[in-house]
Amino acid sequence: MSIFHGMNTTASALTAQRLRMDVISSNMAGMDTTRAKQVNGQWEPYRRKTVTFTAQEGQFSKFFNAALGKNAKSGVGNGVKVTQIKEDTETPFKLVYDPTHPDANADGYVNMPNVDPLKEMVDLMSATRSYEANVTVLNANKSMLTKALEIGR
Amino acid sequence: MTISSVSQMTPTQVVNETNKLKTTPYEAQQSFANSLKEAISKVNDQQITSDNLTQKLINGGDVELHEVMIASQKASITLNATIEVRNKVIEAYQEIMRMSV
Repeated sequence: MSIFHGMNTTASALTAQRLRMDVISSNMAGMDTTRAKQVNGQWEPYRRKTVTFTAQEGQFSKFFNAALGKNAKSGVGNGVKVTQIKEDTETPFKLVYDPTHPDANADGYVNMPNVDPLKEMVDLMSATRSYEANVTVLNANKSMLTKALEIGR
Repeated sequence: MTISSVSQMTPTQVVNETNKLKTTPYEAQQSFANSLKEAISKVNDQQITSDNLTQKLINGGDVELHEVMIASQKASITLNATIEVRNKVIEAYQEIMRMSV
């Protein structure tokens, strides 16, 4: 387990939050997109995307050393990674009454994307704060290592 | 586990063991030089990684900004560690040279 193990874990967290931020940007941008993709010849509006995180598995060498009883620090986690970017199929599309819209159906209703700007803003704040917290952890890690180099100076 | 009796260990066996442990000064010097070379090459690798990532970022490549920053910090820490080791080695050398014969 190298001296940079903590920094690598934090780096994985920063990457995951960055990806979450990109998904939020995509959701906000596609808020009014009524023609996102074709399904059976019909245009479907943009579907909101969500990310799921999971803990990153350690390398095989770590498990091997833990089985041999060598590594005392094998319980420390290895970071986070994004498993999938899923489309939110459970929230229904918003129906807006606008007969003049080119995509209005027979009753004059238009299917709008199921993106709730309020939810996206909250996700945005959460991702930003999480990113800042991880940067603070990284800085603390680096200052600890730098301090250790001052031993015996 | 049976404990073997002391008489089984003949004097010739003991002498052979100590002969194997003795390393020549040349060998000791080589192993020290090799470990020093390895340490410096590791520092160099970190610097090269940081350099490559920065180049990729400047050229607009597919690299995360925080990865570039973290790589440069890792290179800086490794370099500082090597400098401290060098300081200690020189200090030890000077200490020994100060010894009056």
